[in-house]
Amino acid sequence: MLKKFKFGRIGINLFIGLLALFILGPIFWLAVHAFAVDWHYPDLYPSGVTLHWWSKVFLDSALSTAIRNSLIISPIVVILSMVICLPAAYAAGRMNYFGRKAFMIGVFSANSFPKIGLFAAIATLYYALNLMGTFLGVVIVQLLGTIIYMTWIPAAAFAAVPRNLEEAARDAGANKFTVFRTITLRMAMPGILVAIVMSFLASFDEAQGSYLVGAPAIYTMPTEMYSLVQNYPIQVAAVFSILLALPSVLLLGLARKHIMGGQLAEGFQLK
Amino acid sequence: MISLRSKRNSEGSLAKKGERPSSHVRPGVLGLALSLPPLLLVGVFIGLPILIGLTFSLGFTAGPNRVISIIGQQIHKKSHWWGTLQAYSDVLHDSRFRGDLVLTIFVTVLSTTLVLLLALAIALYQRLIGGRKASVLVTLSIVPLFVPVVISAWAIHTFYGGDGFMRTFFSHFGINFPTLTSTPSAIVIGTVWTSLPFAILMISSGLQAIPDALIESAKDCGASSLRVIANILIPLAKTPIIIAGSFTSIGILGSFTIPLFLGPNQPTMLGVEISNFFGSYNRPQQSLVMAFIVFAIASGIAVMYVRSNVKSAKESGRL
Amino acid sequence: MFKKSMKKPLALFAAASLAAIGLTMPASHAASQTIQVYISADTNIQDLWVKTLAPAFKLAYPGYDVNVTFDLHGDHDAQETAKITAAAVLHKDPGVDLIDGGFVTTLGAAGLLYRPTAGLMPNIKDVNKTVLAAGKGGIPYRASSVLLAYNSTNVPTPPATLDALLTWIKAHPGKFTYNAPSGGGSGYSFVQTVVDKYLSDADRKTLVAQAAPELETKWAQGLETLRQLNKYTYGQNGTYPANNAETLKDLATGLVDMGTVWSDQFSSALKAGTMPANIKVTQISNPSLTGGASYLGIPNSSTNKTGARLLANWVLSPAAQNLIVGGTLNGFPVIALNKLDPKGTAAFAGVDILNLRAGYLSANANDLKSKWASTVPGK
Repeated sequence: MLKKFKFGRIGINLFIGLLALFILGPIFWLAVHAFAVDWHYPDLYPSGVTLHWWSKVFLDSALSTAIRNSLIISPIVVILSMVICLPAAYAAGRMNYFGRKAFMIGVFSANSFPKIGLFAAIATLYYALNLMGTFLGVVIVQLLGTIIYMTWIPAAAFAAVPRNLEEAARDAGANKFTVFRTITLRMAMPGILVAIVMSFLASFDEAQGSYLVGAPAIYTMPTEMYSLVQNYPIQVAAVFSILLALPSVLLLGLARKHIMGGQLAEGFQLK
Repeated sequence: MISLRSKRNSEGSLAKKGERPSSHVRPGVLGLALSLPPLLLVGVFIGLPILIGLTFSLGFTAGPNRVISIIGQQIHKKSHWWGTLQAYSDVLHDSRFRGDLVLTIFVTVLSTTLVLLLALAIALYQRLIGGRKASVLVTLSIVPLFVPVVISAWAIHTFYGGDGFMRTFFSHFGINFPTLTSTPSAIVIGTVWTSLPFAILMISSGLQAIPDALIESAKDCGASSLRVIANILIPLAKTPIIIAGSFTSIGILGSFTIPLFLGPNQPTMLGVEISNFFGSYNRPQQSLVMAFIVFAIASGIAVMYVRSNVKSAKESGRL
Repeated sequence: MFKKSMKKPLALFAAASLAAIGLTMPASHAASQTIQVYISADTNIQDLWVKTLAPAFKLAYPGYDVNVTFDLHGDHDAQETAKITAAAVLHKDPGVDLIDGGFVTTLGAAGLLYRPTAGLMPNIKDVNKTVLAAGKGGIPYRASSVLLAYNSTNVPTPPATLDALLTWIKAHPGKFTYNAPSGGGSGYSFVQTVVDKYLSDADRKTLVAQAAPELETKWAQGLETLRQLNKYTYGQNGTYPANNAETLKDLATGLVDMGTVWSDQFSSALKAGTMPANIKVTQISNPSLTGGASYLGIPNSSTNKTGARLLANWVLSPAAQNLIVGGTLNGFPVIALNKLDPKGTAAFAGVDILNLRAGYLSANANDLKSKWASTVPGK
C-alpha cells in the first residue's frame, strides 16, 4: 500500500502544510497580535512587544465576574442535563415506544430555530414563570442547548451495549443494579463522556439566551468576550484567543481517546 | 430460571441485539415516562415560543403577542379566522430575501461539499495509510472544535482582511493578494473552518469501523485503491457521511456570526438578515417569517437524515 | 472515573447546588435606594456614567446608590426591548430604572415610558423644546454630532460642502468609507444627509417630526447617488464596515483617508490614543451631517421611579451638564450655553449645538436603513 503512495510523499507534506496554514494560520496570526504594540500593514512584524494588553484583559473586573459565572453555571447545566436526559437516552436506546422517533426529531429540530425571533415570547414566558434574572433561568436556557447532545449520543451508547453480556451476568446471579452499574453503564461511559464534553461546550458558548434571561444580574463569558472583541483594539481579542485556546487544547487531549475511538459516530445512529 | 426469564421480559428491554423489538404496553409507558423530562423542557421553553411565534407571523397580535406588536413596525393583523399571509407575501416579494436565500443555499451547499471532500480525503488517508502524518492531519482538523465562533470569525477576518496576513505576506513578493473579507468566499472559508472538526470525527469514525479484513481481501482480489474506496469504504460509511453532511448544512444554514463578520452587507446569509429585520428595521413579523423558512429547510434536512438512518438501521438488522 | 453508579449522588449534588445557588442568589432589586441604570452605547458613555456622573450624583444625593450596567454598541437591544416590553405588559420588574439607549424613543412612542410632570423635574424647563418634543417621552441629556473625519496629512484641505465631498470621493477611489446605517449612527447620518440633499426643507422637517411613509419615495434620488458611489468607496465593491467602531479603526490604521464619525467617539478615541493625532474632524454644509440628542427613559414598570426621576433631573442640572461637556467626553449639552462653564463651551464656538440638524423619527429612520440595504450595497 505504501509503495503506491511513495510518489505522493511531497504531495502529502504539501497537503499537511496547506491544512496547517488554513487551520492554524488565523489563530497564530491573531495570537501574535496579543503581544504587539502597534502593527500596521504591510509590516510583517509589529513595531514592539508588550504585555500591556494582557493586563488590560486580566484587570477587567467585568470579565473575571463573567468567567466566574460561566464556570459555575456550565458544570451545573451539564450535571442537570445528565439527570434529565440520561434516563430518556436509556429509554430511546433500548426501548421501543410510541413517538420515539418523533421525540428524537423534535429535539433535533427545536435546536435549529433562529433564537432572535423568539425573544419576546421567551421573555414573556420567563416573566410569567418568575425566572427572569435568576440563575435558574440562565441554567434552563443553557440546558435546552445541551439536550440534543445528552439524548442522542448516550442513546446510541446504551443501545450498543451487547445484551448477551448483561444476560450472562444476570444468569450468573447479579442483581439488576449491579448489572447496570458494572456492565451497561461502564460500556456506555465513553459515549456519555463525549456527550458531556459537547454539552459543556454548548452551554459555555451559549450567548443570546443567557443575555436575555440573565442580564444585568448575571453576565456569562461569551457576552463579555463578544463586546471586548468588537470594541477594543485587535490585541485584546488576540489575548482572548490564546486564553480560550488553552482549555480547548487540554480538553482535546482528554477527550481525544474517546472521540477518536469512534464513539461520536456511533452516537448518531438511530436504532 | 423461569422466574429470571420472565423478569427479563417484564423489564421490556430488547431481547437480543438484532431481533425485532417487542412492542409491549409496559415498555411503551415506561419509555414514554422516561423521555418526559427533556420532552417537557423542550416543549415548554422552545416549542411554546415557536408556536406563539407562528401565530404572530400569521397576524395574531393579541395575548402573548401583545408585547412584540407594541414595538414593531409594518405589522399585519389577521384578516381571516386563520390569520393573514400578508407578512409571508412581504418577505417572499422582498428582493433582499431572494438574494439572501440564493446566497444562503449556495454557501451551504458549497461549504458542505468542501467540508465533506476535505474530511473524506483526510479520513481515507488515515484509514488506508495511517501513521504519524495521518494523525497530524486529523488533529489539525479538530483544533477549531473548541475555539468559540466569535474568536474564529475575528481570527479569519484579520488573516484574510485588508491588512491581514495573506496580503502582508504576498505584498513582500509584489503580489496583490485580494482582500477576501466582505465577500461570499470569506463566508465559505469561515464555515468550512468551523465545520471541519465534526465532519472529520464522524467520517473517520465511520471508516475506522470497517474491518481491515474486507479491505485486504478486496486488495488480494486485485482491486485498486480507488476501487476499494469507491465500492467498499464509501458505501459502508454512507451513514456517517450523510450525518456529517446533515449536521454541517443545518449549522451553516442558520449561521450568524461568521457571515456578519466576514460577508458582504447585501446579499447576506439569512441568519444575519433575520437579525437585521428584527433589530435595525424593526420588522419583527417579517423577521419571524424568515425564521420559519429557515426552520422549514432545516427540518427537511433533519427528516432526510432520520430517513437515511432508519433505512440503514433496517438494512443492518438493528431495526 | 465513574466506577460506581453515579446517578443518585449526581442528582443529590445537583439539587444541593441549586439550593445553595438559590440561597446566595442576589436579591433582584435592592431597596428603593439603588437606581439601576442601563447604558446601551459605546465605551466612552460607559466611562461618562461610571467614572463621572454616578460618583457625582452620589455626592449630591448621599442616600442613593447608582448601579450601571452596560451593553456595547447596542448588541443586545433586541433582548432588552423584548424584556422591558414584556415586563411592562405583565407588570413585572424590568430590572432597570433608567435607560440610555437608541431604543428609548421607540419605547416612548409605544407609550411605555414614565413621563414625570414638569413639577417633579424642574430642570427640564431649561431644555431645548424641539429636542424635548422629538424624544416622545424620553429625556434628552447629551448630544453629539456626526462629523467628517479626515487624515490631515493626506488631505490638507477637507471638502466644505456635501457636493465637494462627493466630488472628492469620486476623485479618490477607495479612500472614503461610511458604515452600514443599520450598524451605527455615523454611517446612518451620511446616508440621511445625502438623501436630504434632494428634499425640501419642509419635507425634511416632516420626516423628523412624524412618521411619513408617503415621503419615502422621495429618497430614491439620494439612494441612487449613494449607489453610484459603490465603485469609489473603500473596497470599491459596494461593501461597507459593519459599525461605528470599524470606521474609526479603518481611519486609525490608515486604510481610508476620510470617514464619518461621531464627535464624542472621535474625541474619546483621540484621548485614549487609539486615533493618531493627524486625524482631524470638520463639519460640512449644504446640508450638514446630522446630530442629535441621546435620550434617557424611565420604564413605567420600573420599581424605583423616584430615584430615576431624581437622577434624570440632576443630569439636566448645570453641574452635571458641565461634567458632560468637560472631561473625556466633550459631549454637547442640552441646556442653554449661558448656564454653563464658559471654559468648556469655548470649544463649541461656531457650532450651533442646540440646533443640530436632526435625524429622522425612528420609524422613518428604520425604513431608510431598510431601503438603503435593499438598494445600495453590492449593486
